[in-house]
Amino acid sequence: MGFITTWVRTFQLGIKSLLLHPMRSMLTILGIFIGVASVIWLLAIGEGISQEAQRQIEQLGAQNIIVRSIKPPAEALGDGIVAVYGLNNREYEMLLETLPQIEHAVPIREVKRTFQFQSVAVDGRLVGSTPKYYETAKLTIDRGRFLTDSDYDKNKNYCVLAKGVASKLFPYQDPIGQKILLPELNDFFEVVGVLKHRGATAGIGGSFAAQDYTKDVYIPLTTMRQRLGRTIFRRVGGSFGGEFVELNQATLQIRSVDEVLATADMIQDSLRHHDKMGDIEVVVPLELLEQAKSTRMMFMVFMGLIAGVSLLVGGIGIMNIMLATVTERTREIGIRRALGARQSAIIRQFLVETITLSVLGGLVGIAAGFLGPLVTILVRDGLYMYMPERMAGLPSTIKTMTPQIVEASVPIAFGIAVLVGTLFGIYPAMRAAKMDPIEALRHE
Amino acid sequence: MTVAALTVKDLTKDYITKSETVHALRSVTFDVPEGDYVAIMGPSGSGKSTLLNMIGCLDRPTAGLLMLGDDNVAHMTDNQLADIRASRIGFVFQSYNLIAQLSVVENIQVPLFYQGNLNRQANRRCRELADLVGLGDRVSHRPTQLSGGQQQRVAIARSLVNDPFYILADEPTGNLDSRTTEEILTIFERLNDQGKTIVVVTHEDDVSERTKRIIRLRDGLIVSDEHNENRIRFTDEETSEVIPENSMEALEAVRDAQLAALTPATVDANSETAAKTSSSNDSSSNDDDHITLKGQS
Ligand SMILES: Nc1ncnc2c1ncn2[C@@H]1O[C@H](COP(=O)(O)OP(=O)(O)OP(=O)(O)O)[C@@H](O)[C@H]1O
Ligand SMILES: [Mg+2]
Repeated sequence: MGFITTWVRTFQLGIKSLLLHPMRSMLTILGIFIGVASVIWLLAIGEGISQEAQRQIEQLGAQNIIVRSIKPPAEALGDGIVAVYGLNNREYEMLLETLPQIEHAVPIREVKRTFQFQSVAVDGRLVGSTPKYYETAKLTIDRGRFLTDSDYDKNKNYCVLAKGVASKLFPYQDPIGQKILLPELNDFFEVVGVLKHRGATAGIGGSFAAQDYTKDVYIPLTTMRQRLGRTIFRRVGGSFGGEFVELNQATLQIRSVDEVLATADMIQDSLRHHDKMGDIEVVVPLELLEQAKSTRMMFMVFMGLIAGVSLLVGGIGIMNIMLATVTERTREIGIRRALGARQSAIIRQFLVETITLSVLGGLVGIAAGFLGPLVTILVRDGLYMYMPERMAGLPSTIKTMTPQIVEASVPIAFGIAVLVGTLFGIYPAMRAAKMDPIEALRHE
Repeated sequence: MTVAALTVKDLTKDYITKSETVHALRSVTFDVPEGDYVAIMGPSGSGKSTLLNMIGCLDRPTAGLLMLGDDNVAHMTDNQLADIRASRIGFVFQSYNLIAQLSVVENIQVPLFYQGNLNRQANRRCRELADLVGLGDRVSHRPTQLSGGQQQRVAIARSLVNDPFYILADEPTGNLDSRTTEEILTIFERLNDQGKTIVVVTHEDDVSERTKRIIRLRDGLIVSDEHNENRIRFTDEETSEVIPENSMEALEAVRDAQLAALTPATVDANSETAAKTSSSNDSSSNDDDHITLKGQS
């Protein structure tokens, strides 16, 4: 009888004895199943979160350094009606002059404004910048065009809408060529372009919340300076206050990635006088990226450990069941030995059972692991529906990530499961085989 | 001089426990020629099972010589012993020892699995053996669905499946009534007629009086070893001279009943060839592989 036939036979025998105790077999499988599913699932969630984080950071640009103005806490601002803070134009020019490695620089000024077309109004962010912003922020145009140098030079009342604003204000019409009203400025802007959707980027400027770009309207910075003046007055909760911010952000693109970190240090040095008030932050996406990568490693190792422990528990479960089975079947073992079974045949018989259990557990675990991402998303969306306030507080990476099955995790989890089943099955199998046939036959 | 089927010389077995050493066998010596039918008798604890287990390669002697044909099994490895059990020995236990979760045919198949001989022909042979012991219509039953006598017949069919040279039985009828005992003994007798060497441990005279030879043990020693002068046989009228007058009729009735029960027992000689070719690695094995009951052939 061939080698294969022997194993096929042994396998049939194994299935048969497993089916004799379906409940027990199911529970044994459960241990391995949870182990394998959790390895795949946890790693997929980990991978999803870190990919999302990485994507958001990469969106900021590895070659870029972002200098951002932050509104300091009220105490630091003093008593004045107008809060003066942040990066000013003089400092910005100074950085460009002293640091030749800065290839491009894109200044941004942003204010919250209402945009209106006919009777529809939308609250959003008015962003004043230069045409270079288009490349630096990795925007893509959907229709029309982005702002041009001539728009900038001539202080044109042109604007480019983010997808969200465009679809709110112009649900049915083509926005290009239409004029939107900014009631607070009492001024009209002609729409020259609409952007494609732009994913959120990592939060910068002292906030963990990702930046949302869906409600942006872009105009030339020159136009903005002219129309808004230097001080922005707003009514804040009944009291009247003003903000004096020359630039909300400057994105500085450095010649080469190698120079980014050194340049960031220099910038930080030259803006040292802001440290006391804490109204400027220098964000280095490259640094964030490195951090995210090492966080990812730690996360993966941690997840792997948790999953490994559950596989170990599954293995102990298998061993426990198999030891009980061996004791219960002592007499059968004696009979088989008396009828000419070698020790190795007995070992094979019991090993096949544990391996079958762990392979089954592994397969079901893989199936569940693949369903995991779907379930995660469903659960998350479900939670959004029932408790949106609580969910809003979650880090953006969790809110927007999709779990990514780590390909290697499938064979690894399966391999470990089978290995665990085999290793933990060997001892009971050996114990069965080592029994004295006569003693075993006497067993009741 | 031909080699005896079984040579036992100065065979000793001690069981060493924590408190004491039990001398289960103290230097036992005898030969069994091929085709012999031996009863081992003796009071409880005299070492009968111990002796039979060693002959059956289930246990190892403490000292002495134990030859199956040309092979001294006293010092064989565990694997070698297992292989001998698989290929040359058919063991029948007092407590049947069937595997509860297997059906009748599957139970009969078990030794073939370990002999490495499981194929389609062998499968048919298992059914034929079930037929032979009168359980042809119960092949898919579980042991728990059978009576004690039926279970023991399955066990006998199982012991025959690897076409063993030796059939060893430890009180095979100890749990059975006299009628079933007769059935079992008839099967043994016919197997012996076909040349199988049979050793049966018993304390029943009903059993021993049908064997060719009786060895009596006491405290691990042979106290007598004699040819059975008063042997009783039923299977072959020409040779059954010693049946007492008065019991003849009753015994014949029993036999007829048995024959009726065993009607489909004729084994097709062709089907045997496949099983024979790959089976016995014992050169002295009986070539006549027919397990047909003589009464009907
Ligand atoms: N595993 C063992 N450990 C210790 N002593 C044993 C063992 N097996 C048997 N014995 C002893 O060896 C002696 C012979 O036992 P054995 O089973 O051969 O007797 P037996 O003739 O078959 O008796 P019975 O007719 O009751 O079956 C007994 O005294 C028994 O107690
Ligand atoms: Mg006994």
